[in-house]
Amino acid sequence: MFELDVATRHIKSRRRQTLFSIIAVSLAVGIIIIFMSMMSGYTSILIDSTTENQAHITVMPKEDEDYIHLYHGLENHIYTLEGVEGVSSYFQSEAALQYQHNAEGVLLYGINPEDENRVVNREKYMLAGKFASIENPGSRIILGFKLAKNLDVEMGDTVTAQIPGAESTDFTITGIFQTGTPVDETMAFVNLERLQDIYGSGDVITGMGIKLSDAYAAEDLANGIDRETGYDAISWMEQNAEILTLLETSEDMVYFFYIIIFGISGFGVANVLIMIVMEKVGEIGMLMAMGTSRRSIMLIFLLEAAILGMSGVIIGCILGYAASAAIASITIPVPPEMYFGMDHLPIEIELKNFISAGIFAMVINIIAGVFPARRASKMDPVEAIYSV
Amino acid sequence: MSDKYIIQIKNLTKIFGDGVEIKALDGINLDIERGEFLAIIGPSGSGKSTLLNQIGILDTPTSGTILLNGVDVTEMSDKQRSKTRNKQLGFIFQYHHLLPDFNALENVMMPLLISGVKSSKAREIARRVLDEVGLGDRMDHRPNQLSGGQNQRVAIARALVNKPSIVIGDEPTGNLDSKASENIYELLRKLNREHNQTFILVTHDERMAAKTDRIIRLVDGRVAENSINSG
Repeated sequence: MFELDVATRHIKSRRRQTLFSIIAVSLAVGIIIIFMSMMSGYTSILIDSTTENQAHITVMPKEDEDYIHLYHGLENHIYTLEGVEGVSSYFQSEAALQYQHNAEGVLLYGINPEDENRVVNREKYMLAGKFASIENPGSRIILGFKLAKNLDVEMGDTVTAQIPGAESTDFTITGIFQTGTPVDETMAFVNLERLQDIYGSGDVITGMGIKLSDAYAAEDLANGIDRETGYDAISWMEQNAEILTLLETSEDMVYFFYIIIFGISGFGVANVLIMIVMEKVGEIGMLMAMGTSRRSIMLIFLLEAAILGMSGVIIGCILGYAASAAIASITIPVPPEMYFGMDHLPIEIELKNFISAGIFAMVINIIAGVFPARRASKMDPVEAIYSV
Repeated sequence: MSDKYIIQIKNLTKIFGDGVEIKALDGINLDIERGEFLAIIGPSGSGKSTLLNQIGILDTPTSGTILLNGVDVTEMSDKQRSKTRNKQLGFIFQYHHLLPDFNALENVMMPLLISGVKSSKAREIARRVLDEVGLGDRMDHRPNQLSGGQNQRVAIARALVNKPSIVIGDEPTGNLDSKASENIYELLRKLNREHNQTFILVTHDERMAAKTDRIIRLVDGRVAENSINSG
């Protein structure tokens, strides 16, 4: 393909300028890959911590009802659905926990610890005591560590729970957990039967958590449970719609930033090509005289843009990978609760980011090449030839 | 009749300019036979180069027709003109316009590659033509490594490589000294006789013009003289 030969020779004839434009593209690609890797990392952490720390699907009572009655049957039915790994029924109540002069409002969850661990692995967050300590009906309670700190309590201390609509009850602290999320301050666990007893509600629950083998199947399955049972089944995506929307909006805004960076590097490519076109006016005229079509002339300069772009993309991907890997290995001293328990910058090196950055860069570079390519193709061959 | 005449020009007019109009060609009528070796002469601004650019379909007329090998080229699309230039026309300009990033052989190959000939075959043909113009030992040299006369020979080889039926030269020896000019002229004449290609040369050199088969003299865009050379 003679157009490719001509394009390659043009690029080789202006080594310094083409080198600078390739560097510009490489840096743009590299920086964007680093940003994309950081975005992927943060998104992963956010979603992982969300899906790890809450049920994939939450089943709520029917409209106009406060409780789910006959929940054992519902549990059995849900276990028959494909992809269900765990089901945990719970009784949720607001309460005020009191210790000496301190009092804090909490959400009290009455659960069966074995079932609950199947849906959300609470055991791994235990700082003190065992999650299974509330397995048998009894007045035992597990608190988040921030809540414990606010109440100024320790393992073995007894707190009084003031529950609306029920008598106040004492609970002994048999466990303290830390997740690095706000629930450390707002959540406490007790045995399900015990809480049902305190409330006098009978064998009913206020909700059911479900864990799936594929978290992303939650929406479809939730809709299915809705249809089949009439209960209100909400996926984790619906529950965290605001966070997901915020993530989406952030990603959109970041794409705007990527366009600016690539645009700047594209100007570098356009500048080199414009210089080549201006330098090669006579040559372009002669190529036309020899029978090169305007389309071929345009193709020559678009190929030059593509070659510069592709070189920059390859080098940029290597730089981006190396820099991302280096950043991922840096340990930063931050309080774990700031970064969901992580002590290093979350970087996730994903192939799709390299592909996106590469395609993005190529498109912008080809666009950058269009103006000089069109200018070259629209030359009057007579003017071009006689200008030299 | 159309077989005898490779170029037939009828009432060719070219007007330049939007504001002040300049009539560069004014109703030119001209028939050129196959295999002719002719010169177009005239004072500066008489329309010589303009006429050449029209025949070479590098430019389009304001009115009139040009038949090349019986085909009206004034009605052609841009793409058709490109193809016709590649297959039927060869150009030699005062400045050689060789591609500086390619060596002599690659420059001569270019019209063949443009027409889609495979690289290996193009290389073979180009070697032969470069030999014919006496530069067989300079194939690997780039234009900046050749003299003015040598570069012009490469340009001639490039103009001829696709075996065009018409070769157009606009002051092909304008940048050369008298000895080099003489050599170039002799080469062109030799090629014309060997390959029966039609050569149309614009020249200021009256001595060279006198050695061609026919002289067309232009004055103010019109044919003032159209005479056969007896010498």
